[in-house]
Amino acid sequence: MTHATSNQAARDAAHPQPSAGRRRFLKAAAAAGASAALPLLSGRALAASHLSGRHMVHTTWGGVYRDAQVAAYCDPFSAATGAEVIQGGPMNAAKLSAMLKSGKPIWDVVDVVDVSLAVDSRKGYFEKIDTAVVNMSEIEAEYVHDYGVANIVWSYNIGYNTDAFPTGRHPRSWADVFDVAKFPGKRTLRDRVFPSLEHALLADGVKMQDLYPLDVDRAFAKLDTIKDDLILWKSNSESQQLFGDGVVGCGLILNGRAFDSHKKGAPVAIEWNQNIRSVDYYVIPKGAPNADVAMQFMTHVTRAENQARMANRLAYAPTNLDAFAMIDEEVKPWLSTHPDNAARGILISIDYWRDNLEALTKRWTEWKLS
Amino acid sequence: MPSTVIRDRRAWLVAPALALLLAAFVYPVFWLLLRSASDPVWGFHNYATALSEAIYLKVLWNTVAISGATTIFCLLFGYPMAYTMVHAGPAARRILIYIVLIPFWTSILVRTFAWLVLLQPKGLINDILLGIGLIARPLELIYNRTGVLIGMVQILLPFMVFPLFSVLSRIDGSYMKAAANLGAPPLPAFFRVYLPLSLPGVFTGCMLVFIISLGYFITPALLGGRRDIMVAQLIQEQIDQFGDWGLSAALAMILLAGTALIFTLAHKVFGVKPAIRA
Repeated sequence: MTHATSNQAARDAAHPQPSAGRRRFLKAAAAAGASAALPLLSGRALAASHLSGRHMVHTTWGGVYRDAQVAAYCDPFSAATGAEVIQGGPMNAAKLSAMLKSGKPIWDVVDVVDVSLAVDSRKGYFEKIDTAVVNMSEIEAEYVHDYGVANIVWSYNIGYNTDAFPTGRHPRSWADVFDVAKFPGKRTLRDRVFPSLEHALLADGVKMQDLYPLDVDRAFAKLDTIKDDLILWKSNSESQQLFGDGVVGCGLILNGRAFDSHKKGAPVAIEWNQNIRSVDYYVIPKGAPNADVAMQFMTHVTRAENQARMANRLAYAPTNLDAFAMIDEEVKPWLSTHPDNAARGILISIDYWRDNLEALTKRWTEWKLS
Repeated sequence: MPSTVIRDRRAWLVAPALALLLAAFVYPVFWLLLRSASDPVWGFHNYATALSEAIYLKVLWNTVAISGATTIFCLLFGYPMAYTMVHAGPAARRILIYIVLIPFWTSILVRTFAWLVLLQPKGLINDILLGIGLIARPLELIYNRTGVLIGMVQILLPFMVFPLFSVLSRIDGSYMKAAANLGAPPLPAFFRVYLPLSLPGVFTGCMLVFIISLGYFITPALLGGRRDIMVAQLIQEQIDQFGDWGLSAALAMILLAGTALIFTLAHKVFGVKPAIRA
């Protein structure tokens, strides 16, 4: 899984003369990469609080997600390097975009979803990830991006209310979710064009690997068939309420939200067949005042032990699969990058959505109004 | 004229309010106007888009239709409420005022979520109606226009009740007595004497409710169905997802101009002066 040797060579070629400090840090990073089980202690000893007196602003989405990231990434980073992590935000797409346009960001590290990364990195808004500092070989290849470090993976799953459809007699495919006769009652999708079109096409019999580029007309025609039985959710908490209160019998829910409902005792379960994975990336806005500190923070995001902390707290799946060795057994089945679950789904195409999001969002609104 | 205003020293009392208005209203509106005509390039293309494409026209129409219906329902519920408040005894009046005020002090978000709980198929209202056998299947009270109107009317009712209450309580009771003395039955007396006297309150209440409704965002988003998209939601989406300030600013300016137009027309057609005026 790790390609330490070839990567090391590539790094040396790209950066032939690293400074003494950087060389020492590289050694620490390489050591940590070689053995995921290696405790933080060695990193701390080697890095020897070389960033004390420095700080960076970490901005992410609110609530429990931020708390988990602080515990999983920020605190271990501060402990290892002496850098202070200031919590900015909360993350707000409009605020970030205004900041990026102005070219004077005040956030050093920001959590963005994959489609935004694809759109904004093309505009040149983010710093390129310095692979001499960040050991990207630890990250599973399909989540590696030039301008972001994949922090968690989550997925769009078929969800169902177990009172309405007991497990075993539940909708097992998107074709089932779109089958109003077989599974009567209201169903739900997210009020966004992605990945609603993917869901419609899967329901219409398109194979997962043949989805992209999307057959848009076919997708909207399929959506028409459930128009009168459809409730659209706008926020994740709304989706939990719709499933938990039995307003809908089946439809779309995010795996992490289903896990949260399940833990709270709500009659909510998910199906892994035809799940669509999506990724949150940490990015460094171009011109961030503490970009160098932020780049070092990224190395701590790639580490298996930190990603395992994240998964154990919130059931968000690691991008460094070595983390599975440290993840609780009862959490594993809920994780999108667990090999059994990943095999039954696909990764969303951020390149497709980067090029089509704006036009298709307008078409989605048109469809809603029709 | 201006010199007399300036010579009057009390005029300076308006300076703080004027400064606030300049900073918090005139400047942002001017900035929006500028953005609407300059983002991404100079011209009226944003207005052309907003006023020619079916999607924006439909959403603008939705906004006016939802706001109009909210205003009518607020008037239908608010007028009898204000009338009762004026003619109740002091103790009952105080209770009625608090009945209007306490929800008014509660956050819109909280009230919208409360409606979510009450109106859903397995919510309290449907449970009670099913329980007493009044209905056989749950009523569809939410995720449609009905839900939007229930939520918005309840939230905006105080803006109708208070202007009406203030105008109705100033109507001299002897007019109605005079009408009765002259032989008018109660209903004609009400429509020909009382109602015309209360029109300034009706006008102010309707304008307040209508104008506030135009900018509504969270209630239609949470209680509405697929089609119940209002302009504010579209503006939010354009800015949040695409950073499209130009089109959003144009939509906001159209909303503002439309409001001003409706206000002026209503003023001219009905010939009533609002209870609050310059």
